[in-house]
Amino acid sequence: MVLVVLAAGFMLILLGLYGALIHRNILHMIVSFSVADTGVNLVLIAVGYMPGRTAPILDSNVSVADAVERIIDPVPQALVLTAIVIGVGVTALMLAYAYRLYQTKGTLDISKFTELKW
Amino acid sequence: MTKRIFVFGMLIGLGAIFIDLLLSYTPDSALNQTARYYAERTATDLGAANIVAAVIVTYRGLDTLGEVTVLFLTAAILVMVLYRDHGIGINKIPNRFLPPTGEMLGTGSRLLVPLILLMGVYLFANGHLTPGGGFQGGAIIASAVLLLLLTNPNQTFNLQLFSLTESISGIGFVVIGVLGMFFAGGFLDNRIFPIGQLGELFSAGAIPVIYTLIGLKVGAEFSSILVHLSEEKEES
Amino acid sequence: MVSPLFIIAAPLGTAFFISLFSKEKQRLAFLITLAAMLLMSLVSLHWVFTYLTSGPVDYYTAGTLPPFSINFRMALPEACLILLINLTGLFSTLFLKNSLLRMGRLSMAVLLIDIMSLSGIVLTRDVFNLFVFLELMAISTGGLVLLSEDNRAPAAGLKYLIVSQLVTILLLIGIIFAYHATGTLNIDGLTVASLTHSTGGKLAFFLILIAVIAEVKPFPANGWALDIYESAHPSFSVIFSVASSSAVLFATAKILSIAGPEWLPIASNVGIITFLAANLFALSQTNDRRLLGYSSLGQSGLVLAIIGQQDILGDHYLYVAGGILLAHAVAKAGLFWMSGIIKGRELTDWTTIQGHPFLIFSFATFIALLIGLPPFPAFYAKWELIHSLAGAGRFPLLAMILLGTLLEVGYLFRWFGIILKRKPDGPGVLQKKRHRKRMVIAATTAVGWGMGYLWGTLSPLGHLFHATPLLFALSFLLLDWLPARIKNSLAIAGLVGYFALQYAGYNPMQLIFASVILIGGAVILLAGFDNTGRRIGFYPATVLMFAGLIQLIEARTSFDFFAAWEILTVGSYYLILRGKQSEPHALSYILFSLGGAFLILTGFSLAAQGGYQIELQMLGTVPQSVAPWVFLFLALGFMTKTAAIGLHIWLPGAHAEAETDVSPMVSGILLKAGLYGLMLLLMTMGKQQLYGVELTHMLLWIGALSALLGNLLAIFQEDAKRLLAYSSIGQMGYALFGLALMNHLGWLMAMMFVINHYIYKSMLFLSIGGVARRTGTKEMYRMGGLLKLMPLSFIAVLIGIIAVSGVPPLSGFGGRWIFYNAIMTSEYRLPIAVLFLAGPIAFLYLFRLIHTIFLGQLKDEHRRIQEAPFWLIVPQMIFVALLMGVALVPGVALRRVDHYIGQFFPNEGGGLNWSGMTISSDFGYWNPVAIMVVVGVMFATLLAWLLFVNRQAQVVKQFNIVYAAERPYRPETTHFAWNFYAPYRKALGFLTQPLVTRFWQTVTDLLHAASDLFRRIYTGNGQVYAIHLLAFVVMVYLYSKGL
Repeated sequence: MVLVVLAAGFMLILLGLYGALIHRNILHMIVSFSVADTGVNLVLIAVGYMPGRTAPILDSNVSVADAVERIIDPVPQALVLTAIVIGVGVTALMLAYAYRLYQTKGTLDISKFTELKW
Repeated sequence: MTKRIFVFGMLIGLGAIFIDLLLSYTPDSALNQTARYYAERTATDLGAANIVAAVIVTYRGLDTLGEVTVLFLTAAILVMVLYRDHGIGINKIPNRFLPPTGEMLGTGSRLLVPLILLMGVYLFANGHLTPGGGFQGGAIIASAVLLLLLTNPNQTFNLQLFSLTESISGIGFVVIGVLGMFFAGGFLDNRIFPIGQLGELFSAGAIPVIYTLIGLKVGAEFSSILVHLSEEKEES
Repeated sequence: MVSPLFIIAAPLGTAFFISLFSKEKQRLAFLITLAAMLLMSLVSLHWVFTYLTSGPVDYYTAGTLPPFSINFRMALPEACLILLINLTGLFSTLFLKNSLLRMGRLSMAVLLIDIMSLSGIVLTRDVFNLFVFLELMAISTGGLVLLSEDNRAPAAGLKYLIVSQLVTILLLIGIIFAYHATGTLNIDGLTVASLTHSTGGKLAFFLILIAVIAEVKPFPANGWALDIYESAHPSFSVIFSVASSSAVLFATAKILSIAGPEWLPIASNVGIITFLAANLFALSQTNDRRLLGYSSLGQSGLVLAIIGQQDILGDHYLYVAGGILLAHAVAKAGLFWMSGIIKGRELTDWTTIQGHPFLIFSFATFIALLIGLPPFPAFYAKWELIHSLAGAGRFPLLAMILLGTLLEVGYLFRWFGIILKRKPDGPGVLQKKRHRKRMVIAATTAVGWGMGYLWGTLSPLGHLFHATPLLFALSFLLLDWLPARIKNSLAIAGLVGYFALQYAGYNPMQLIFASVILIGGAVILLAGFDNTGRRIGFYPATVLMFAGLIQLIEARTSFDFFAAWEILTVGSYYLILRGKQSEPHALSYILFSLGGAFLILTGFSLAAQGGYQIELQMLGTVPQSVAPWVFLFLALGFMTKTAAIGLHIWLPGAHAEAETDVSPMVSGILLKAGLYGLMLLLMTMGKQQLYGVELTHMLLWIGALSALLGNLLAIFQEDAKRLLAYSSIGQMGYALFGLALMNHLGWLMAMMFVINHYIYKSMLFLSIGGVARRTGTKEMYRMGGLLKLMPLSFIAVLIGIIAVSGVPPLSGFGGRWIFYNAIMTSEYRLPIAVLFLAGPIAFLYLFRLIHTIFLGQLKDEHRRIQEAPFWLIVPQMIFVALLMGVALVPGVALRRVDHYIGQFFPNEGGGLNWSGMTISSDFGYWNPVAIMVVVGVMFATLLAWLLFVNRQAQVVKQFNIVYAAERPYRPETTHFAWNFYAPYRKALGFLTQPLVTRFWQTVTDLLHAASDLFRRIYTGNGQVYAIHLLAFVVMVYLYSKGL
């Protein structure tokens, strides 16, 4: 089960990257990167998952004493949150840049922004 | 075409790394040392019922501080990108024509927004006890703004308020972190306030305070990002 | 002690705080930003002093011990880097004032956060936390690119974001699997849990490592960085190049510390390839900032390669890596800031700093820092690095580092030449007086020198600033405002005074060289009194050259010797560059010289056998396995300085285009440095065989060919100074030949050559220089009949050529006499034949020299010219007297040398017998006084007869046949003195084909073509850059699988 999720995550990453590296339209690239980011996040949580256990929250179901045996690893969950937030930030920024570049040239084709080269 | 083939080939190479990773992966059967420590000690040391929240806000609080800074940066740079006139070659894209908002949409959103806001506040205020937390709560608050924007794209917002909230909660976060160095075990230690009774609303020391600040900050930042990205407006 | 968390909390708090301000209070926000930066810098400085003595200290967060919470570690390297980062931030903020005010308070907040994230990268001991700080760095970099007024900057920012997305993905996957493999995110925890011992852990580690290395901007995944360098605000480029690169390099070192030394080759190879590629591509750059960008990429690559050498560098690792890193930091900061006050973006636009000596001095300081010339930190660092590499047998890496550095020398010194020698397009392209910015540049320059001092103090090998000659030379930088005549007097007094102090301690050989350098130098400097005005830049360069020369003679260890070698090279380069047309020649001079220096470095490092230096006297004890190689490298290196044939192409231009009083210095004195080296080499190492080839035999051939071809080339020159320059190649060939004979008399003759060549070549260059000054041309066919107008110059040339040609009675004959004795005792017949052939050829060019300049008909336009200036004549007359003196009593100098040389050939009779006025050898005797008397009588008789006959001579009028029928297309072709030796050219011209020139030209052309071709991989398309990164990752993965 975990392996399937992991594999799906990896597939999403590869698909996303393929899209990002093939499509010339900057918006398409940004969306593709989002897909890849999702794949990464999927991999992150899948790695922390342990079958048959519950969320790392102590409540009436999970007491402090048996937490070690009942909960899954909280760390990947914390990491994935950070990863998501950072991903959102970068995506927003890329969108803004895309908008700005569109303003200057009226196109979103990345291969048109090559004044800087060599 | 060569580019496609090349990219494909390279991705196969990357895929090979992933496959190797996948093949070497064996799920853990017991918690590793770090997770075990958190499972055993969070409740007694920090008094937080939501272990993930404890990890995010306290154990790895520095990451979280960085995270909110990322959002702050994004919001700030967005303003720089979108509003700073760099002189030559900038064509203003005219605001498109928008049909008036229908009665249903307007009323519906006005009904929903307070509920959404309440939901957001609930999430971050209880972040140390139940699933949820500052980021989730903040995102939900921002979704209220998104709803308003979707129903009426010409809606104006008080951007000043957003930035004020953002800055003050940011400063608050840093100050609480620094207080930890003086009144508790170190930077971002939550035990500057009493950790109270496990499971109570007022427990887990500074975690709910920080989560509230994060919630406000993230809400304000996401909102301002959304507003800025929706249509170009004059900077506040 | 302030907790390092302060360096995170303070800028963050400030950033949040200033974003509260209203739009109107930008200025206040700026002041607060500045204050925060200042405070952070001061605190960092405090840390540096605190951790000088104490070991690393860990700081915990969240009141929990690691690995369960994030911790920071502070130690001396961290403290230094934090100081570097924050100082960069402080100065950049000052420099960015206008842009920051224009972009508003948010940009200041972003700047603060950028600096904060860089500090975090250095301090954190948690991989995921490292990721967060890296993201902060990436995002703020993307934002700060916008500070530029360049319209292309946003595109560059987007390209970076695209690439950093890819990096993020790799890093996160790596981190989570590393966590899965070990159960910790703490770097020390990962080390303890031996992450790289499991398959999954290995892969995870690879992904983390490659992601962090990608931030170091490795080739080929670094196009985005170049675009940022080209379009960003120069002051942001400083942060990007200095602070960001240092931080990510440190992060790479941290990550590498998780794994064992078997992972280091990845860093080495990626680093060195980046270094080579970046420096190669920089060759064809004309945009200043992009060029600096390439150079930055190269330097980061070099540091990465050094990080990969920590297994062999041991204790010296921080000293070496820090030396290169900090030198690069200071230099690059200074250069980018300078580009901020220069308006144009072409390299040629930098000509506007002509007339600003201080800016030129700063520029020279910065490129010296980058290349690693003494006395700067990278010099010490590279010395130790190369020695460690040689000791560990890592020769390919050693060769690539030196090759890359030589490429760097090429484009940086070419730039320097352009700045000084090209005509500025128009005045006032330099930005108006910006004191704030100039102060920043001045401070940076001072920091560079301060670091040189610091590295010298830390160096176990010797402190260059503790050498009196160098200090004396540097003091002329401070005195440069004085009038030239005062400085000239000071310089002469310094040279003579130093000689007076030191001469008692020299052995005879040192004494000969020291007299030529110090006393000889002082005599030539007399000509400098001819200059009025201030002659800015001349004296620091001249005295630097002399300082290097004398330190070379005094050096006892390989380190001192090499440092002196580089000092004299740099000094003479600046001196040569002063000539009017000398831009290309000075460049080829510095390239050959530093290329030679690198060969010498290689030789010494081989000889040191893993140590950091070797006593020069111990060169003979080098094990037989490496000794021939040491000999080969050292000999080749020294021969670049003596301009042996094949390595000579820099000499004619450099000597001929130099100023009137510089030519004698660089010809008469500077060339002796190479001879001294060769002599030292042969004295200590003797005969060496490589694959059965006797290396001294090779030298013999090289010497003979240099003599023949140098002389041949000289006879076909139209330019009088060029003629003299080529003749030097021939003369040095003789000296080399003498040394390579490896017998007593051969060496004695070489020593005699050292003195003779100094005297007559200096004299000839001075007199021809004087003539050229008066006639306004150096081409001989434009002169003629100057005998009556410039009699003293004529006498000097006459005496000079008698001496050069080796006919009696002057000292040249003595040299020849010893020489013939020497070759009689040797068994190499063929090279001797070649050498004999060279003799008569020398007569040809000497005859031409005196004939076409002083005899023949006077040109109309020269009728009113006068004798050369007084101060040019003075040294010439001294030389005339000296020549006479040496001819009469050669024993004064040579006797002791003869005796001294005897100790190296104990089994050989061979020496000369000095009794009274007569010198006798196994083959005959020589009485200088008798010869002088005989020749004097013959000369007087002939002169008397000539005067007697001359009374009957008829004076004919000049008439011009040139324009009889038509106006010739090239008037000079009708002049008899043009193409004087046309018949010889027909016969022997095939020998003077510029094969060597063509060879080196082809080498440079190929390099440039390769540079121009391969840099096109940076298409400017952000997507292509991302593909490069992907390809890079896959390639390194495949490579590492083989590990």
